[in-house]
This record gives sequence, structure tokens and C-alpha cells, in this order.
Amino acid sequence: MGLHISLAAEQIATFYGMPITNSYLTTLIVMVLLIVLSVMATRKMTMIPGNAQLIAESIVGGLYDFFSAIAGKHIKQFFPLVATLFLFILVANWVGLLPGVGTIGFTETAEAKEVAVAEPETVSETAPAAAKVDDHAPVAVDGEKPEEAGTSAAAEGEEAGAHGETKFVPLFRAATADLNMTLALALVSVIAMQYFGFRTLGAHYASRFVNFKDPIMFGVGILELASDISKVVSFAFRLFGNIFAGEVLLAVLAFLIPFIVPLPFLFMELFVGVVQALVFSMLSTAFFNVAVSHGEEEHAEAAHA
Amino acid sequence: MDKLGIEPTLLGAQVINFLVILIVLQKLLYKPILTMLEKRKREIAEGVELTAKMREAEEKLKLSHEKALGKAREDALAIIEEAKKQAKETEKELVVEAHQQAEAIIARAKAEAEETKLAAKAAISREAVELAVVMAKRVLASVMGAKEQHALIAKRVKDLESWGVREEKKSA
Repeated sequence: MGLHISLAAEQIATFYGMPITNSYLTTLIVMVLLIVLSVMATRKMTMIPGNAQLIAESIVGGLYDFFSAIAGKHIKQFFPLVATLFLFILVANWVGLLPGVGTIGFTETAEAKEVAVAEPETVSETAPAAAKVDDHAPVAVDGEKPEEAGTSAAAEGEEAGAHGETKFVPLFRAATADLNMTLALALVSVIAMQYFGFRTLGAHYASRFVNFKDPIMFGVGILELASDISKVVSFAFRLFGNIFAGEVLLAVLAFLIPFIVPLPFLFMELFVGVVQALVFSMLSTAFFNVAVSHGEEEHAEAAHA
Repeated sequence: MDKLGIEPTLLGAQVINFLVILIVLQKLLYKPILTMLEKRKREIAEGVELTAKMREAEEKLKLSHEKALGKAREDALAIIEEAKKQAKETEKELVVEAHQQAEAIIARAKAEAEETKLAAKAAISREAVELAVVMAKRVLASVMGAKEQHALIAKRVKDLESWGVREEKKSA
């Protein structure tokens, strides 16, 4: 079996027309895990806590203190969202590091792969020498140039079928190593930002983007709009890039030297998982804070005058 | 978008998934735990306050205890002192009374003795008169006649009686 690297998550099933990818499956597992752990921790709440309750209390209480240092008085409003962002991303990152994720899977015949190519989801199998992260060149045929790969997809399918080749599709893939997931989180975060802004400041919040007071503020408003849209992209790609890069690094290392050597990198990825969860949730909190305190200086000045 | 594997339905599904887990965690995890933490915080504050109050009350109680104890000790000492004094007084009174009683007894004894003496004296003098009469009768019977005897005896008896009365008056 060759080294398996795919930028996109692979489709493993279809549910009422919706493609189910391996990342989506892992997302569901992460959700179930979080819910089960929460239920276990808070099933029997007592004034003198048991072990599970104590751990849950330290985590939730610690997060609350941590985020309240950034959010200040708005913490009550933000906490459920940012804490969920943190916990969900953290667990998703760590579940992606479990043994079996990315290695347990099944093989697909060429015919199946042709279907997959027709869909946006792709299955890729690459030779170690030509490990490529290109959807349009899932199979690197000897002597084939990368530019030609896209055009020769159909021919390649036939070729593979003729040779009776099989493609490996992992059953699980880190939930956050899929842009659908990270983009969804980024959208939630940026939309929540606007929601918090409007909820706290009312119509006044709109002046953050559309402001005719003076030309400078008008320009600033357009910049704010652009920055908020770019936040979606930066959130999504930061998380995806970090986790996907870690997966690739571990996969390559495991492929080259399967024993001992990947361990330090595995620890590093554990750390990266925490850092990325923290970065995502902290940045969200900071942005929420900016949104709800928009125009505070002006108000203060007006009150002062 | 195809290259990155972005699929609108999957994206939507993931957004919904996240919102679901957000709501579930809010209900299952954050709310009960934060409520519990808040409750415990309040309870601990109350406990600490109560401890301080109790300590204060204990201090007060101790003070009043000591005060009461001191007062009781003083009272006891005073009572003992008083009792001693009273005992001494009673003793003195008793002694005085005993003296008085003794004197009274002695006086009565003396008076009784005097009376007895006087009674004895009177009895003796009476007996002496009778004896003298008898003796005179006998002597005169042999010497004089009955008439003269009677006159003489009557004279002597008168003398003796007046003497006896004088003697009685003297002793009284």
C-alpha cells in the first residue's frame, strides 16, 4: 500500500443524496464522544464533586476564567459558543491523532473510483515518489507529468480498471482536516460576531460597515467588511492547514520510518491540536469583543462632551 | 472549490452539527457546571462568614463565661466570709448566754440555800420553845402548885415568843 494523501475528504457513503465523507463520520463520532462525556460528568451533580464532575468543573471553570480575561463583562454572552469551539476543535484534533484514523479503511475498485471522480470528493492513491496533493491527479502514473494529470483523469480510470488496480479509502479522517468543517466553524464564528454586535448595540452596529459620517469612516467601513470576510477564510484555512499539515507530516513519517521516530511528532501534533483550538476560540472571543464594543470610544467622547 | 473538497450540503450539515453540539453542551455541560460552581462559591462564602460569626460568638461566650465564673468566685468568697463572721458572732452570743445562764443558776441555787437555812432556823427555834415549855412544866410541877405553874409558864412562853419573833425579824 502506498502513501495516502488527499487534500479533500473522501466520500464513503451517500445519505439521501448527501455525500458522507470520512471526515463527516469522524465529526459525528466527536459529537457523540463530547455528549457522552458531558452526560457522564454532569449526570450526578453533587456539592462535593466526584472525580468526573471535578474534572469537568475544572475544565469548564478554567475555560470560563480564561475567556473572561479576554471578554470581560461580555463573557456570559460569549462563553457557550467559545467554549464549544474550543472543546469541539480540541477533541476533533485529538481524535484525528488516534491510531486507526487514516489507516483503517477499505479499498475501492477502479469503477467505484470513476464515480468518485465525477463527484467533488476524490480518492487518491499516490506512489511514494510522487506523493501529490492534487485532486485531479489522484493516481500518479509513471512518466505522467503533473500538468497532464487533470486531462488524463478519464483515461487513467480506464487504465486503472484495465490493470485491476484498487484504491485505498480511509474510513476515518480528522474532522478538522476537512475544509467543510473548518469553514463551517469559521462561518459560525463570523456570523455570531455580527449577531453579538447587533444584539448588544442594535442598529448602531451597522455603522461599523456602512458609515456616511465622513469619507474616512466610509473607507474604514469597507475595510471592516473586507476584514470580516477575510476572517472566515483565515479561520478556516488556519485550522485546516495546521491539522492537515500535521496529518501529512505524520503520514509521511510513518511511511518512511514507522517506529519511534514519529513519536515526538505525534506529541507535537497533540500540542498543535491544543494550540489551534485555543487560537480559534481566543481569536473568536477577541473579535466578538471588538464587535460588541464598536463605537464605545465615540460614545465615551460624546458623553464627555 | 472542487479541489478543496468543499461541498455546500456538507458545509451546511457541519454548521448544523456544530450548532447542535453547542446547544447540547450548553444544556448538559456549561449550565449545570457553572450553576454548581456559582452555588458552591456562594455556599463557601456563607460558610466562611458563618465561621467568623461563630468564632466571634464563641469569643463573647468565653468572655461572659469567665466574667460569670469570676463573679461566682467572688460571691462564694463573700458568702464564706459572711458565714465566718456570723459564726463568730453566734459563738460570742452563745458564750454570753451561757455565762448568764450559769450566773442565773448560781443565783437561784444561792437563794434556795438561803431559804432552806431560814426554814431550818425557824423549825429549830420552834422546837426549842416547845422543848423549853415541856422542861419548865416538869420542873415547876415538882416545885409549885398548878396555879402558879400556869402563870409562870404563860409569862415565860410570852417572853420566849417575843424573843422568837425578834429572832425571826432579825433573820429576815
